[in-house]
Amino acid sequence: MNLLESVKIALEAIFSNKMRSLLTMLGIIIGISSVIIIVSLGHGSQQMILKEFESFGVNRAYLGLSWRENPRLRDYISKDDINILSEAFSKEIKGMSPMVSDSGKVIKRTEEIRVELSGVNEEFNKIENISMKKGRFLLETDMKTRRSAAVIDEKLALKVFGRTDVLEEEITVDLRNGQETFIIIGVMEDKPAPFGNLGGYEPPLAIYVPITNMEQMLGMNGNYWGLEINFNKGVNANQTLSRMISIIERRHNSEGKNLYITYTAESELQMVNQIMSILTLVVGAIAAISLVVGGIGVMNIMLVSVTERTKEIGIRKAIGAKYKDVMMQFLVEAIIISAIGGIIGILFGILISAIIAVIIGFPPAVSIISILIATLFSISVGIFFGFYPARKASKMDPINALRYE
Amino acid sequence: MKQVLRMIRIQDLVKVYKLGEIEVKALKNVNLHIKAAEFTSVMGPSGSGKSTLMNILGCLDRPTSGYYYLDQIQVDRMSPDELAEIRNKKIGFVFQSFNLLSRSSALKNVELPMLYAGVKPNERKERAVEALEKVGLSDRLHHKPNELSGGQRQRVAIARSLVNNPSIILADEPTGNLDSKSGIEIMDIFERLNEEGTTIILVTHEPDIASMAKRVIHFKDGEMVDDHETGKAEVSV
Repeated sequence: MNLLESVKIALEAIFSNKMRSLLTMLGIIIGISSVIIIVSLGHGSQQMILKEFESFGVNRAYLGLSWRENPRLRDYISKDDINILSEAFSKEIKGMSPMVSDSGKVIKRTEEIRVELSGVNEEFNKIENISMKKGRFLLETDMKTRRSAAVIDEKLALKVFGRTDVLEEEITVDLRNGQETFIIIGVMEDKPAPFGNLGGYEPPLAIYVPITNMEQMLGMNGNYWGLEINFNKGVNANQTLSRMISIIERRHNSEGKNLYITYTAESELQMVNQIMSILTLVVGAIAAISLVVGGIGVMNIMLVSVTERTKEIGIRKAIGAKYKDVMMQFLVEAIIISAIGGIIGILFGILISAIIAVIIGFPPAVSIISILIATLFSISVGIFFGFYPARKASKMDPINALRYE
Repeated sequence: MKQVLRMIRIQDLVKVYKLGEIEVKALKNVNLHIKAAEFTSVMGPSGSGKSTLMNILGCLDRPTSGYYYLDQIQVDRMSPDELAEIRNKKIGFVFQSFNLLSRSSALKNVELPMLYAGVKPNERKERAVEALEKVGLSDRLHHKPNELSGGQRQRVAIARSLVNNPSIILADEPTGNLDSKSGIEIMDIFERLNEEGTTIILVTHEPDIASMAKRVIHFKDGEMVDDHETGKAEVSV
């Protein structure tokens, strides 16, 4: 008897008991679809994060003091350091700015709006992808004159003034040590937060002011603890950063003390990717357990089916079915049940992950590989869990089987 | 004149069942020869060993000791798969309870032995139709067993037993579940098949059914106690 005949017999058996077949498949359907959904959500969020990093700037880096090493004031990065680095790495660096931030709030009647006030230099819009809706970004003259100028987020303008056309308007920010008033010179286009407003969390809205102004407010004197950097495309960020550190170390006579640390978006991205992959794997593995449970369901039903069809097995054996004929018949039946369950599960998985992708705003990312693996897996489940019942059927003694009622 | 062959040759056949500690001798040293184209009835009370003999004759079971040659082939030491092949090619079974696949049509049921013999689908169908015609069921090809009467079901079973041109047909109480009219019809079919040269062995406990055979064998306590020819026997060489 060939495979095609076994498939025919199996299909007849499956379709003659539709309800039971469907219930048996259910375990596989749920297992496969949840694996597909989880893997595709994992991929989707990974792609999302990648996109986010791209808009934030993949070539971005941070160079700053390592607080673990208890840096002294003379280890801080000075204005001269910045100028020397700018010159030495003019080819590599697209933009470099010290950044000093403080959180505060803008009060509009009784409403408090949380803001993040950051002092940056005129190069900062080359670091962060800032596009202006109105007005301009900070200029070098703003730094020199310590002008109380502010570039604010579009959302903030809407909240405070109810419009975006707010150039030359004044905005007052409550800080820990008093109030500061700035003249708005620019409004930035709002950047959607990476995951929307998940959980109702709204990040504080950004206000950028000249670093010189911020220093004065906080009583700093041209010494910074960190630099935001954006490298040109194709620059090896980590290599360049270590060369920059060695220059700073030489200038501060602090070679080998590990006073400075760096972050690059690239390595952060790699880390995030790694974490996401592990997370996807772990949750996927948990979902795969449901597949095993589904497989046990297949075995259970196949065992019932074998017992129920003892007489049929006896007839087939009496008439000349060999060990392998009976084995094949039941194994193929288990495989087909699992495979059909797998296909339905894949379709369900694709559908549900597409729906979730639309709701959350992910790019849909059902990978061909996860479908292939799911298919392979469901067939293996059929073989693995179908083997024992099929063996039981094929080993039946024809005389006893025929006598079974 | 037909060539007379020893279709079945059984020598010193013993079958012992172990029921826990106790050994039950179901067959004690049976010697039996059956020629080709013979029509033999096997009779005996329950527990006489006739069912055991039928199981061994039908290659469903193996003897504990002794020899069994079927159509010149020694089958008493064969493996289960080898026996399955012998059953498929050389033996046709007709059971008391028909033993048809309830989900399959008459045609599919008759095709079944050929499925395991590896016959191609077209030929399978052709031969199955032919066999069903032979038992007068050409108008019931696509009926399922539960749409057929008992007599018709048994005729499907006979068609199935014939379809691989077996050396012998083993019928185990084929009329046991039938009314007398259908029983006679079935026996007529057997007689006709025998006239055409098929070797038939029939187990029954009804004397008038047994007497339709040419030879009647009686079993008791695992031994053959009587073996005689009925008046129907042809003069054989």
